[in-house]
Amino acid sequence: MNFMLRGLLATSAIAVLTAAAGPAALAQSVTVAIGSEPSTLDPQLRDDGGERQVNDNIYETLMARTATGELVSGLAAEAPTQVDELTWEFKLRQGVTFHNGEPFNADAVVTSVTRVLDPANNSEQLGYFGTIASAEKIDDTTVRIITTGPDPILPSRMYWMKMIAPGYAANGDLAAAPVGTGPYKFVSWNRGTDIVLEANAEYWDGEPAIDSVTYRFIGEPGTRLSGLMAGELDIITNLLPEFTTSVPKFAAVPGLETSVFVLGTDNPIIAIPEVRKALNLAIDRQAMADSLFLGFATVAKGHHVNPAAFGFNDALESYAYDPDAARALIEAAGVAGETIHVYGESGRWLKDREQIEAVAAYWGEIGLVPEVHIEEFSQYLDTLMGDGPRPDSIFIANSNELLDADREASFIYHMDGAAASNSDAEMAAMIDEARITTDVAAREALYAEVFQKAHDLNYTVPLFNLQDIYGMSERMEWTPRPDAKLMIKEMSVTE
Amino acid sequence: MGAFILRRMWQGLLVVLGVTLTVFVVTRLFTDPVALMLPLSASDGQRAAFAAQIGLDQPVPLQFLWFLGDLATLDFGQSLWQRRPAIEVVFERLPNTLMLIGAGLGFAMVLALPLGMVAALRPGGIVDRVTVSLGLLALSMPQFWVGLLLILIFAVQLKVLPTSGMGSPAHIILPALTLALSPLARLTMLVRSSMIDELNQQYVKTARSKGLGFRRILGVHALRNILISFLTLSGWELISTLAGYTVVVETVFAWPGLGLTAIQAIQRGDLFLMQAIVFSIALLIVIINLTLDIVFKLIDPRIRLN
Repeated sequence: MNFMLRGLLATSAIAVLTAAAGPAALAQSVTVAIGSEPSTLDPQLRDDGGERQVNDNIYETLMARTATGELVSGLAAEAPTQVDELTWEFKLRQGVTFHNGEPFNADAVVTSVTRVLDPANNSEQLGYFGTIASAEKIDDTTVRIITTGPDPILPSRMYWMKMIAPGYAANGDLAAAPVGTGPYKFVSWNRGTDIVLEANAEYWDGEPAIDSVTYRFIGEPGTRLSGLMAGELDIITNLLPEFTTSVPKFAAVPGLETSVFVLGTDNPIIAIPEVRKALNLAIDRQAMADSLFLGFATVAKGHHVNPAAFGFNDALESYAYDPDAARALIEAAGVAGETIHVYGESGRWLKDREQIEAVAAYWGEIGLVPEVHIEEFSQYLDTLMGDGPRPDSIFIANSNELLDADREASFIYHMDGAAASNSDAEMAAMIDEARITTDVAAREALYAEVFQKAHDLNYTVPLFNLQDIYGMSERMEWTPRPDAKLMIKEMSVTE
Repeated sequence: MGAFILRRMWQGLLVVLGVTLTVFVVTRLFTDPVALMLPLSASDGQRAAFAAQIGLDQPVPLQFLWFLGDLATLDFGQSLWQRRPAIEVVFERLPNTLMLIGAGLGFAMVLALPLGMVAALRPGGIVDRVTVSLGLLALSMPQFWVGLLLILIFAVQLKVLPTSGMGSPAHIILPALTLALSPLARLTMLVRSSMIDELNQQYVKTARSKGLGFRRILGVHALRNILISFLTLSGWELISTLAGYTVVVETVFAWPGLGLTAIQAIQRGDLFLMQAIVFSIALLIVIINLTLDIVFKLIDPRIRLN
């Protein structure tokens, strides 16, 4: 009897333990909602949010960034060295293999660089790699990247270029079944519904904590929110500030985007420096940050460079709010009652229309007559970057994936920049020089000067450094990154 | 009958061609796929190369001629967004939409007949009044809102059904219900009012006086007489759902059907995929119309098809 009782107890104990172990093992999988289904999982073709959110976990790059944004070596064993002005040498990490068993080596780097640059592939990522001419294998673990001109931000560029396996790139299906060196391996893509990845047990930096991740494609924000509340989802992106109080948990981090109005400095009224100054003084930015973003945005410090980017000028002050001074400037310039045209779009960036309308209202209060034009997105892109006349002011939430001030400087402040509205040749020359200066301190000093000048001349009306807000389930443990990457290996779940 | 079908097929073909031409012209006049597809930082050279690659550097009439040639082989070109043949995307997503519409409309049709008939038995009675009120309520609520409300009740609060996506049979319940609500209300109203009319007809009174059972009168004779209008309205519901209503429901429930894909194609300026979707839906609607005409003729041979 005793024997039987013991046996029964032992069996029950095992059953209880197994039951307890079961959910614990299952708990290691998470579900992430992404706004749009990736169009392809080829990591070198698109510049597309959905693809990146998945592939960032499958593929790796020579350079990586820490969770706080610092550039560190990834698949490179150490920081690259410069052989001459046009040549950067990378030593590669040894013993790394792709998920299909292919070794990661110099051939893989050469293949990756050659493929993404090949015009036949028509990669949307070419904008990031425009300065790269070729890659050259020195030996199995040493590779050189050759640029078309001096390129100080080449290491940052290599944080964007994903490394592919040469054999698989030739014979496999990169678009539908990706193979990388990263912490997660591709499992399945159920078109229209989800993508599943599982942890790579052989990952060179140790197996990640979460065993598997499912990406669900949910475009409608209300449905994403419901999914989180119902416990079906663990992470949702782009949570509206208003909903931070209703979700189980949320996390916010300064993001890549800075909202700014670019001023058409050659247009009759905007050409007057005092008017531009008045446009900056007219806006109560803190009140807007509090009311529109409930504090999930910080007032930009006098320029639209991302604070996490190289070249950010920390010495600049945010423009003050002084409507009386602004009104006086407008009166003195003799332009009170004049119309200024305010261009923008709606729905592409968080609270874009609200920001545009609020700023227009502030400009109305200092005696100007703002006329707001909300355009359809492709029409707006034409206004922003087309060859037509420059608008008096145009709104953009400028992003900086490379986290280097070259992006903001050349895109908006340089007179030949795609979205620039000034014709300041002196400033353009400074930006050109900064772009090819490889001495880090000299380059930083040049940018400090460029942005100080742009600030003093009021070439733009910077508004906010926008935060990325994520909704999370109760069990998620994760601190979001400033580069908006959803790295599953940095997450864990409690339970 | 044969001549009629041939003529209707010819008319249908013209409709499909007309719709396709309209979409073709509109997408080229009012959108700039190059600006939509390439990133902000793309150079003018990259833009020109991309335009040449997808044939946008050619005159529009020439583009349309090529397009008509390709249409014969269902070649709509590569979807710019998915980078695979646009028609492949349509073939993949269409069954999901048809499944959702089938479930939703099937539910509405099956439920509308008994509901409408019961309400018609005692016009003005409590059952009738409740049915009419609920019907009006269902018709006045936008689908988007109904969908979110159902998610809130059954998925978020009660946690008995999934919020969105497709995977298990349970996933179809809420979207199908959302889709079914307005057609159910309209069909119930139709059955109710037609049945009230029928029950007041002389033949019903005659049949009853001859001792025929009320159930038989209702279920066979009266029902057959209202069937044509019931099927006509159901066909109309099917067409209007296919042409638009499913877009809202698929978006709210992240249901991977053709409606959601159409919205995504529009957002991404994927004009080749948009053309393929519009063409397929126009073709389906023409086929459904033709089928309905034939079915009506079979049910009631008195109907003149021309």
